[in-house]
Amino acid sequence: MIFTIFKKELKDTLRDRRTFMTMIVIPVLIFPVILNLFVGVSESYSKESATKKVKIGIVSEGENSISKELKEIPKIIGDKEIISYKDTLSLIQDIRKDSLQIGLFVNGNFNLHLQEKTAAPISVYFNATEMGMQDRIGKLAGGILPYIFIAFGFIGCMYPAIDLFTGEKERGTIETLLTTPVKRWQILFGKMGVVVLSGLLAATCALVGLFLSIEVFKLVEDQALLAIIHSILSPSFIIALFALLFPLTIFFAGIMIPIAIYAKTFKEAQSIITPLNIVMVLPAMIGFFPGIKLDIVTACIPVVNVVLSTKELIAGTLETKFLILSFFIMIVLAISAIFFSYKRFDKETNVIQ
Amino acid sequence: MIEVTNLYKEFILSKQQQKELNTTDKKSIAVNSISFKCEPGKVFSLLGPNGAGKTTTLRMLSTIFQPTSGSIKIDGIDAVQHPQEARKKIGFLTGSTGLYARLTPNELIDYFAALYSVSSSDLKERKDKLFTLLDMHDFQNKRIGKLSTGMKQKVSICRTMIHDPQVIVFDEPTSGLDVITAENIITLIRDCKQEGKTVIFSSHIMSEVDLLCDDIAIIHKGNLLYNASLEEFKNQMTTENLTTEFIKIVKESSNN
Repeated sequence: MIFTIFKKELKDTLRDRRTFMTMIVIPVLIFPVILNLFVGVSESYSKESATKKVKIGIVSEGENSISKELKEIPKIIGDKEIISYKDTLSLIQDIRKDSLQIGLFVNGNFNLHLQEKTAAPISVYFNATEMGMQDRIGKLAGGILPYIFIAFGFIGCMYPAIDLFTGEKERGTIETLLTTPVKRWQILFGKMGVVVLSGLLAATCALVGLFLSIEVFKLVEDQALLAIIHSILSPSFIIALFALLFPLTIFFAGIMIPIAIYAKTFKEAQSIITPLNIVMVLPAMIGFFPGIKLDIVTACIPVVNVVLSTKELIAGTLETKFLILSFFIMIVLAISAIFFSYKRFDKETNVIQ
Repeated sequence: MIEVTNLYKEFILSKQQQKELNTTDKKSIAVNSISFKCEPGKVFSLLGPNGAGKTTTLRMLSTIFQPTSGSIKIDGIDAVQHPQEARKKIGFLTGSTGLYARLTPNELIDYFAALYSVSSSDLKERKDKLFTLLDMHDFQNKRIGKLSTGMKQKVSICRTMIHDPQVIVFDEPTSGLDVITAENIITLIRDCKQEGKTVIFSSHIMSEVDLLCDDIAIIHKGNLLYNASLEEFKNQMTTENLTTEFIKIVKESSNN
């Protein structure tokens, strides 16, 4: 009976244009659109960098040929301006003021080292926040990309949950369904199955969109980003992602369904669930911040634990014990959410208008 | 056969509901210990003004609501103890029944047949018979959302009858329908009676009651005011027609 209900609800859901858009069309398009924007921004950043004159400050003892050597570096890496400084103090001050990008302090006779072909002791000064942009974008993408799957897991559940519970109540079809010789928990499970599948389908469509972006549309040329996307598209990552997304979507469904059962109209349900989106999904952004790692505490915070697990899986720093703990926490929450939904669905005054 | 004994239903009122109803009572009695019997081959009508408790009673009969106390027997099955078994015997239709707009009549009937565990041979035979009877063949594969009210009503009737129920519960089945569409329901009730099924329907349209009923019960504010055959009701009338007599009984009860 659960499967009969599941089949019918799935057919009904897939025929709903609004659900179809949020479950399939938008998730498939999201990555091509985001990556297209990212590539555009990245290219304009590179162009700007290429036209920018790099100012290099040098402090050296006596005459040496380091300035000449620097000038001979091919122009392809950009124009350079070499400025001589008398002491490192003023050099560092200029770097802090951003009027200088790199500072070099040559200790000893550079020409002698050059002739002997030995390493010259040179201290390099630079503003660390200006450097490693690519590296930081890479790290950020490692957090954002898995987060998008979670967001779609939530959004994918939203319309089917409202449509299959509040919608059925609003349209007056629930009454007839409850007069059939099917147990209420079977009806709930059949419907819940479609809500969970919709969440997972939306996340899968986002994954398909990511695959199409790099394999078909070839949107990404940046090697650091490509490496991250390839690790997302690896079988081990996909298995781990879905193992975590499965209980997470049940948890999402289990939170939305009691609201959808309680609400009298589609609008009322939507007005409660939409802010819930912010409450549930936005805190997971904590996973983007550097320094926050999956540990015994963060593994116990739902949604955050899924973001951090996937993020660390991409970085290759994931500890299995924390992954298992995250999975266990999500399973416990999913079971509690199912139980809570059942309690609400069993209450006759909630189900009937 | 439907046997109802001391059926009682109360609802717990939320603070919001207490405010809306302007009461401090924490409970509201919807149905107050009513008893009646509906015989096979007869049409039983439950009459009462809006808010009398008709829909709550019929929802308890069709096991959507659990009674607070009292018993309901559907063809000898205790509907309170064994709701799943009782549901197999019941066909339920209301005037406000919605249908799944994104399915076709064919898909909808197949779905309900599956929920009632109707065998495929029975389904084929009954579907053929009902589709011909209700003239549904032309629109059986169109989306329900695109059908007219009359067509939708035919689909509802077919859905109610697909498992060949012995007891049919109609909750204001003709409300909001034009006379031509309502005629389908009238015909259905007559056919059910002829086939020896037990029919109970709620209404406040006295012309329908006069046309179809064998027995009547009048309820008001959850209490049973009158229960007898339509013939007896007509014989004891002190006013000129059924409607005025019905209004008189309800008003007298309100004054007491």
